[in-house]
Amino acid sequence: MAETFAVLGLFDSADALAKAIPGVRDRKLGRLEAYTPYPIHGIDEALGLRRSPLGGMVLVMGILGALTAFGFQYWISAVDYPIVTGGKAPWSWEAFIPIMFEVTVLFATFTAGLGMLFLLNKLPFFGHPVLQSKAISAITRDRFALALEAEGATLDPAACEAALRAAGAREIEVVPAPERAPFVTSDFVLRSLGGIFLACAGAGVLMYWAVKLFPVLPPMSYMQNQPRLNAFKPSAFFKDGFGMRAPAPGTVARGHLPLGAATQEEAAGLANPLPRTREVFEMGKAAYHNRCEVCHGALGKGQGSLTAAYGAKPANLQAQQFRDYPDGKIYWAVTKGKNQMPAHDADLSETQRWAVVHYVRALQRAQNATDADLQQAVRR
Amino acid sequence: MSGKQTSPSPALWGAFLLGGAGVLAAFALVPRERFWANWVLWFVLMATLGFGSLFIVALEHLVNARWSVAIRRIPERIATLLIPVVPVGLVALGAVPVLYPGARPEAAHHKILAGKAFWLGTPFFSARTVIALALGLLGLYLLVRGSLAQDQSRDPAFNLRARKFAPAYMAIFALVTTLLAFDWISGLTPEWYSDIFGVYLFAGSFLCALSVSSLWILSLKGEGRLEGVRGDHLYNLGGFIFAFTVFWAYIGFAQYMLMWYANMPEEVIWYKIRLQGAWHVLTVLLAAVHFVIPFFLLVTRDAKGEPKNLRRAAVLMLGAHLLDMYWLVFPNLGGRPLFSWPELSFALCFGGGSLLWMRASMSRGEDMPVGDPFLREGLEFRL
Repeated sequence: MAETFAVLGLFDSADALAKAIPGVRDRKLGRLEAYTPYPIHGIDEALGLRRSPLGGMVLVMGILGALTAFGFQYWISAVDYPIVTGGKAPWSWEAFIPIMFEVTVLFATFTAGLGMLFLLNKLPFFGHPVLQSKAISAITRDRFALALEAEGATLDPAACEAALRAAGAREIEVVPAPERAPFVTSDFVLRSLGGIFLACAGAGVLMYWAVKLFPVLPPMSYMQNQPRLNAFKPSAFFKDGFGMRAPAPGTVARGHLPLGAATQEEAAGLANPLPRTREVFEMGKAAYHNRCEVCHGALGKGQGSLTAAYGAKPANLQAQQFRDYPDGKIYWAVTKGKNQMPAHDADLSETQRWAVVHYVRALQRAQNATDADLQQAVRR
Repeated sequence: MSGKQTSPSPALWGAFLLGGAGVLAAFALVPRERFWANWVLWFVLMATLGFGSLFIVALEHLVNARWSVAIRRIPERIATLLIPVVPVGLVALGAVPVLYPGARPEAAHHKILAGKAFWLGTPFFSARTVIALALGLLGLYLLVRGSLAQDQSRDPAFNLRARKFAPAYMAIFALVTTLLAFDWISGLTPEWYSDIFGVYLFAGSFLCALSVSSLWILSLKGEGRLEGVRGDHLYNLGGFIFAFTVFWAYIGFAQYMLMWYANMPEEVIWYKIRLQGAWHVLTVLLAAVHFVIPFFLLVTRDAKGEPKNLRRAAVLMLGAHLLDMYWLVFPNLGGRPLFSWPELSFALCFGGGSLLWMRASMSRGEDMPVGDPFLREGLEFRL
């Protein structure tokens, strides 16, 4: 014979059930439970049911949620990547609170819902054994059942029956323990994997739609089609038909004061304002490397890597003509360009250009060093 | 179950009269601003208690609640506090030209305040307050007087009338609470706006009314009255207090966080004052006694219906609401928190007076609305 899950005693009224409880409870034959068509006030206390642990679980998980959100945000904003946003210090607890609140609620509700379903109601086990009993249709209608349920150890059906009869039960039914199928079957695994695959595929399609298509569909695309001025595009808004505006006459960009000299000869008198320090030479070297070297070459000999491609003949800065140039004339050529050489006033700042002049001087001197230079270097 | 005659309480009368003498002395001796700040504090506190209690009553009629029929007479009696609130409020109008920048003569030279002269000026300010007080009396007349009359008449028609009036009273309550908050508290700093401020005061008002109701219910039960009111009823009161401490914190923090983020000078100064020196201590204390401590006091199921614990939580909530009012009104005087004999006198006079009034009102009508056809259902309420 199969093990017994419970012995049910059926009563005609809630009063009869309530009266029967104390006597049966004192015998301590098994776990006491009642099955009734409607909730009966006070029956929890009469049965001596344990208070559900769910509340405590929710409280603990809620606090854990708050701490998780706090720790996470603290670590992100104050430790790992501290950044000032909106003028607030990286460590601003005020900004953490809304997310702490949300995560607290999230942890608490998930604990309440999933804890109830899986931990306490024992999903995925759907069929409660009493649902299989013959008495269940009466219990859901007009009968009140008091059950003695097996609690770990097996139940003594005969003793239970006697106790329930003594308490005034009209009918007795013994409910056998159900045969539980093993939880993890190959069928279950296959279905789970299939479900996960379908969910992923569905999520992928949805994601593709959300990222690729949704932003260009009508309500969202209005943003791109709104009237506006596009740089380098014609526009009917201004009389001259250009979208872009020219700066007002006489506008000077910051750091780009116009050069006073109109010709290279006039620039001959300009003096290099920069001191000859290591930093200035480093700056000049970097600027020369980026802007000059492809044509003039690393040593300034006019044999850079681009000369072959263009068939041009860049100046050989080591030539006597350029070694005799005053600083101002070199500066003028860098700023305004010369022959095929483009102007560099847009790419290099005034300081960088003067630094390049220093560097060119250094290249010239290095290639034409005298014994005195050598001795000076040795002495240092 | 007839209401007992209240025994005279010389201690309360003594406190009331001593406080009254202190109030008169304060009028003569301390700066007018400080005197009126005290007066406004107690006016708003008594009004929030009265209107909040009437809100509990109207809420029952509005949603056809049954459980609260058994305890309804207590908030009804507390709501009669709206009668003495009328003279207190009318006298408080004396504070308007003193404390409220929008009604002071300098306002004419202030660009923003001059544009709002009609709204902030003394005449319309006073008119609004008079209307608010009259609406309180109207609610009292329709909801409380009718309920008291039902004790004899046993006429269920009252329930139908009250049910019809309850929705209208909700609108009135929202309007009056918002007016109280905007005029009497926000009005102290008219360049500071907070749309949510009325809701903030509502949370405090409802909490205060629930706490005082709970305390009176526990006190009457201690005398052996209110037979049939059980832990289940107390549980609901405790549950409401629990829920609304969270609501208060939510609203209070929402208001703070938006202003903190936007950091606009005219808004953030209100908090800046309250986060400096001794006021900072009071701000932290307010958050603790208005939210953190009652939250954990009432968080478990048993704690909500347990009389001793509920009494503890209710006393704490009442103190927290008092501190909240102090925290709203007094920083506007500038400087450090003031607490000395004038404040103590006001507390004795108005606190003692309110207690005397409520004590006397506890013999009004039966202890339960015996004429209400739903009383039995209310008494049978189980969780």
